[in-house]
Amino acid sequence: MSAKTILIIDDDIDLVEILRITLEAEGFRVVDAQSGERGIAMAQAENPDLILLDVMMSQVDEGFQTAYALRQDERTMETPILMLTAVTDQTGFEFDPSRDKDFLPVDEFLEKPVSPRQLVDLVRKHMPTKI
Amino acid sequence: MDREPLQANGESIMPDSSHFVSAASLRLRLDWLNRLRWGAVAVVLGSVLVVGPWLKLDLPMAGILTTAGGLFGLNLLYVVRNRRLPPVNIRSEIRLVKVQMVGDLLILTELLNLTGGLENPFFFIYIIHVILASLLFKGREIYQIAALAVVLFTGETLGEFFGILPHHHLLSAGDMTHELPFVLAALGAFWLVMFTCAYLGASIMKHNRAIKDELVERQASLVQADAEKMEFFRFVTHEVKSPVSTAQSAVEAALELDGDGLSTPVRGLLERGLGRLEQANRMVRDLADLTRGGELRQSEKTELDLGSLVAEVVVRFEELAASEGVGVMMKPLTAPVILHADANMVDKVVANLVGNAIRYSGGAGVVNVAVIGDADGVVLVVSDQGIGIPAEDQKRVFDEFFRTQRARELSGLGTGLGLAIVRRFVRRMGGRITLESEVGVGSKFTVRWPLEIGNDEETS
Repeated sequence: MSAKTILIIDDDIDLVEILRITLEAEGFRVVDAQSGERGIAMAQAENPDLILLDVMMSQVDEGFQTAYALRQDERTMETPILMLTAVTDQTGFEFDPSRDKDFLPVDEFLEKPVSPRQLVDLVRKHMPTKI
Repeated sequence: MDREPLQANGESIMPDSSHFVSAASLRLRLDWLNRLRWGAVAVVLGSVLVVGPWLKLDLPMAGILTTAGGLFGLNLLYVVRNRRLPPVNIRSEIRLVKVQMVGDLLILTELLNLTGGLENPFFFIYIIHVILASLLFKGREIYQIAALAVVLFTGETLGEFFGILPHHHLLSAGDMTHELPFVLAALGAFWLVMFTCAYLGASIMKHNRAIKDELVERQASLVQADAEKMEFFRFVTHEVKSPVSTAQSAVEAALELDGDGLSTPVRGLLERGLGRLEQANRMVRDLADLTRGGELRQSEKTELDLGSLVAEVVVRFEELAASEGVGVMMKPLTAPVILHADANMVDKVVANLVGNAIRYSGGAGVVNVAVIGDADGVVLVVSDQGIGIPAEDQKRVFDEFFRTQRARELSGLGTGLGLAIVRRFVRRMGGRITLESEVGVGSKFTVRWPLEIGNDEETS
């Protein structure tokens, strides 16, 4: 069975590298994109099993916009999205997946700084068992 | 203090003629002016109905009673108007006060004419009018009132002297009002007293006004400085957050992936680094809380039971309390204590106070938490038997980044932002926080919130 693919969409290349090393050590295949737009293209091309998506990239709400676009595309409609967020610190938004699920179709929020252990646990939790 | 510096139409109203900046604040003063007038009516009636007959004074009762009745009627009119009609703007309100004061002076002069004129020592009441004028107006207006009083009383006195106005004897012995030297001396003294009063009143009020203006100005610049400081913190938080958070993830990942393969000293170095990065991230999070801007939106307010919220926080801190060897006691509540507020902000306030109380208990003692609700609002009290805060530091503990010497020695983890966040959140929700503390005995923080939490402007 081939390795599960994870797409990381984040413009912080250092963080992408850290996440890549952590996830590759766990046996995942990692692809990345540094913007929402390229992320969407990459998702369509690579058909990842799970997406890690940053909220704030070059635009404050780029992650939200990307999440909406991914959910509207039938190829990525069902792909689990874990959203990396530091928005709490910035705008006073407090995310609660159980409350905001309808508002924003992502599966989990992961607050930065990302702990590798927590990241791996959450990835495993949301990774689909069947393709 | 008079607030409401703007009228409904947004026009800035700080009229040159008055100390008052709003019609509503002037109205409050007019209330006691009305009460004073009721007093005047009572004194006049008492004098002519009781003192007059007792001293066997021969006074024109009909005239006096009619004039007193006139004053009564006018005052009734003023009172009804003040109660029924809301203040429109301060200029029209001041105009009305002037009309009222002119009316009062005319009535006083008429009453004096009916009760002996210069013979009646109650002509000193003119001075009260000048003092009132100096409280209500400023500059020229005060002198205008003094001048009107002087003109009226001089006219009355000279009118009697020259026989133009009737003179009603108050005294049985002699008639001073027709002795020219006495009349001139009395009027001279009267003029001197009136204008001196006007001058003193105007000067004192001008001085007070200058102090008040300065205070208002300083308050405004403090608010401005605070806003700039928060903006700076926001900027720094924004810029620092990302690198610090990524650095922490990098070190954590390194330790997680290859920690066991590292030599002990290298692993130790990385762990130290991680500890400091975690501290920096705590600081970033606290700064983000502190600078959380904007007003408390209606949607952020929920009906919450402060008792249950505090109980949840206490449970959350049980582990820390146990590890510190500190007991946490919460007084059981018989009924819910309801507060309409932002649950997240209230939670942060309670958690910071309870957390601090445990951390700075010095490893022993009991932290007591109490929630009290009454008609005025809600009170939260968190007290400990800990290290206490020196008197000279008590004012500064709410300042950003301030930590007492003892707190720094006891815990290297604090950011010095917890109490700054507490104070800011308490104030944003319209509340107040007070501190009582003694070194070696303990500290007691008391938070008071009104039941219906509004949007504080952070100016208090």
